Parts: sequence; structure tokens; C-alpha cells
Amino acid sequence: MARFLKSCYGGKAVHIPDGFLSTPVWAALDTAAVPAVAWVARRAQRGFDDRQAPLLGLMGAFVFAAQLINFPVGAGTSGHLVGAALLAFTLGPAAASVVMTAILGIQALVFQDGGLLALGANIVNMALVGVLAGYLPYRLGGAGEWRRFSIFAGASLSVVVAGCLALSELLISGVRMQTSLLGISLAVFLVSAILEGVITLAVVRSLERIQPTLLQDSPPHKSPALLFIAVAAVLLASVGVLFASQAPDAIEQLTEHAGPRSFGWLRQAGTGLAGLALIYGLCLAIGRTVSRNRSV
Amino acid sequence: MRHVILERWSRGESCVHRRDPRAKIVALITFLAVVATAHRALAWLAPGLLLLLLAGLVLAKLPLTGALVRAALVVPFTGVFALICWFAGEPALGLRLLAKSYLSALAVIWVVATTPLPALLNGFEMTGVPRFLLVVCQFLYRYLFVISEEAQHMSKAAAARGTAARNWTAPGPSFRAAAGALGVLFARSYARAGDIHRAMLARGFDGRFLQLHSENFRPADTAFALVASLAPVAVRLTVERVVG
Repeated sequence: MARFLKSCYGGKAVHIPDGFLSTPVWAALDTAAVPAVAWVARRAQRGFDDRQAPLLGLMGAFVFAAQLINFPVGAGTSGHLVGAALLAFTLGPAAASVVMTAILGIQALVFQDGGLLALGANIVNMALVGVLAGYLPYRLGGAGEWRRFSIFAGASLSVVVAGCLALSELLISGVRMQTSLLGISLAVFLVSAILEGVITLAVVRSLERIQPTLLQDSPPHKSPALLFIAVAAVLLASVGVLFASQAPDAIEQLTEHAGPRSFGWLRQAGTGLAGLALIYGLCLAIGRTVSRNRSV
Repeated sequence: MRHVILERWSRGESCVHRRDPRAKIVALITFLAVVATAHRALAWLAPGLLLLLLAGLVLAKLPLTGALVRAALVVPFTGVFALICWFAGEPALGLRLLAKSYLSALAVIWVVATTPLPALLNGFEMTGVPRFLLVVCQFLYRYLFVISEEAQHMSKAAAARGTAARNWTAPGPSFRAAAGALGVLFARSYARAGDIHRAMLARGFDGRFLQLHSENFRPADTAFALVASLAPVAVRLTVERVVG
């Protein structure tokens, strides 16, 4: 069963397809993702010159291609790179988020890997929180004696956090899972996280030998205690969400009793779409004003 | 590669191919929302929506079996969760997940197989997605195959030099070889990005891709968007009125 699960998770990342998440969950995450992606794109564009667009596109293509190179792990199994943390170490977190968002979009459209309505959820899990969780340890301990450990920890953390978020979203949406299966999937996440950490560390070290200028500088002299606190906070937050979602019945009952029987879905969808439209209009308006102010 | 087929289908010629990408995006989002919010009478609703999609595929002159098989790409992931639900004693929930995700994937295929991806991404720009993100997507899609081929060449070359002969007890050397290959691939992609940027600047690239076709939203597009987005809503209302 463990191997079965591993094959379905692709060993690594969980791309949630459409139809799995309940309406409140996907609508909320979509509305959260829209302004976040707009902000991240603006920030990434500002951070570099306009050479950035081809560079980020090629880095996205690199992450796709990296999946074709297998890393032997022993006992006949092999793994491959996910890449969110590696992108964060080399391009910085904002640009890495943009690349991961582009990857998720292309995967949803062309490869049927993850849904379109669930794109917001996947972006939040992997491109926003996953990249941030990967960058945090590197930012705090990327220089000095903790460097190798923080690279490993960042890459592992990005996989664990993204996986736990996806799992808890599924559980909140009412996908039933026995406790034993939950334990197995957490174990799978942990194993693939360690694998991602080892692979990322090996790639970063080979990159340091070829072209050390490609890696982002991180500020020197940060205390390792701060690093541990930050890492623990991220880990606790994601695991906490997971355990909170173990009891989704309350949420489900709430939504079941709240909606009237006939045409309840129409009203529900209408409210959701109205909320989306509101956020969308707000983002558009803010974007217009900001760009106008800048051009003046 | 197996996804090139979508690219070939999208260059076809039919009344669906000719419609504006924005109209198709509106129809797709409506369809997905109708599927995602459905709870009751799914046993009747799912076949109804499937028939609707089949009609769309026929209208677009796409190969039916090819599209249906292609949408089954979601089944491995969904199937595992359906089995989990089955073991948890809720086979109906498992079937619901399977039906919903399959229908959604087929709808996405219907749109992607009738619109070339650059045009589709351009259509998303009109709906307010940041242009920078879409330009990154365009570059990503353009160089996806180039870089993937390079990766395949590298792993083939490495295999020819003996990395494929696995040492079960000590995977260290071939692990390091793979890491080295990825490092080289990374540095090469980085350098290639600079070359591409200079070449595009020399050709007058100003951060946006120009389109050969005009982007006028014609009355036919409006009619198409209306019909194609009202159809799934109508199917759902009818089914729920009759069965529910």
C-alpha cells in the first residue's frame, strides 16, 4: 500500500485535481492566490531587469527536465528533484514563486496534472508556502557553518509543508482517510522530503563547483537558535492544520445546515463568484493605480 | 512526447477552433464551477455533462477516443483516493471524486485542444492575469521540449558511460553523477536564457508577445460564450428538477 500511495503522489508533490476540494476551500484558496500571485509577479519583475522573463521561463523548463534525470537511492528505487527550494536558493523567493506558479499552470493546462479551479490551492501549497518554507532556513543559516544543513532543511521543509497543506485541504473537504493511511502518507512525505533535501544539497554543491555566482547571497551571522525557532514554527503550523482537519465533521455539518435545500448551490456558487469578482476587481484597480503612479 | 498531440489538435479547423480564447475560457470556468459545486443527483448529472462534452468534442472535430483516453491521465491519482474512500466504507464518495475530476479534465482538454497555447495564454491576459507571469509561461512552454531533450541526451550519455549499471550496495557515485548532470543542465539553461534575451532584444522584444491575428471579440464569440456557458447550467437545473 505504501508503494501504491507513493506512486500516486508521484513520490513527491500532490497536485490536487478538480472535484476533490469542497467549494468553500477552493474558492477561498483561489481568492487568496490571486492577489498573492499578482504581488509576487510585480516583486519578481522589479527585482531584476527585463531579462527576467526568459530566465524564469527557462528555469521552469529546467525543473520540468530535471524530472527526467533519475537519482538512484538504493534498493532499486529512484527519486527526482522537485525544485522549489533550489529555485528559491538561486533566484530568490519571489522569482521562485513565479516560476512555480507558471509550472503549475502549464501542468494543469497541458498535462492534466492538477485542476484549474484547484490551481489556487496548488499555488498556495507549492508556489507560495512551499517556496517560503524552503527559503526560510537558507535565509537564516545560508552562510557559515550551518549552510549545508540549512540547504538540506529548506528543501525537505518545502516538500513536507506543501504535502501536509494539500493533505489537510483534502481532509477539510471531506475526503475520508483512515488513521493508518494518514500515517503512511505522512511517512511517504517524510521520506520524499529527506530525498529532496539530499538531492538539492548535491545539486547545489555541484553548482558551487561549476558556477558559484549563480547562488543567492544570504546575509551572514544569523543565530542558529532563530533558525530552529522559525523552522519549528513552520513545521508546527502545517502539522497543526493537519490535526485540526482530522475532525472535519463540524465544518461539514455547518455547511449542510446553513444552505437551503432547493437552489442552495446556485446561491452558494453565486456568493462565491460574487466574492471572486469583488477581489478580482479590487486587484485590477490596485494594479492599474500602482502602474499609473509608477509611469508618472 | 505524448503531449505534442494536444498541440497538433489545437491547429485544427472547426467552428470551436475559430472562437476567441476568452469566450472559451468563460465557458470552461462556468463548466468547472457547475461540476465542482454539484452534490445531488450526480448519477444522472455526470452522464448528462459527459454527453454535453462529447457534443463539444464532435463539434470541434476532435478524435473522441483520443480525447477520452487523454483525460484518463487523472485516473491514477483519483483512483487511489476513490479506493481509499471505498475502503473507508464510502464507495459513493469515491465514485463522485472519480466522475468530477474526469469531467473537469475532459473540459480542460476540450479548450486546450481547440486553442493554441500562446493564444490561450494571451486570452488569460485579457482577463487580468499578470502579463509577466504569462510571458514566463510562454517561455517555459517554448523551451520545455528543448531543455527536456538536452536532459535526455545527458542521461543517455551518462548511461553509455556506465552509470546505468547500478551498484546496489553503494549508489553514491551514480548519485553524484546525476547531481553533476543537473548542475550542468542548470548552468546551461541559465546561460541559454541570456542568449535568448539578447537575440530577442535584437528583434525588438519589449516584454510582450505580438499576435498575428486581430483580437476582436465578434458577435459570434459572444453567442458562443453564452450558449457554451449556459448549456451546463441548463443540464444541471433540468437534472436536479427532474430527479431531485
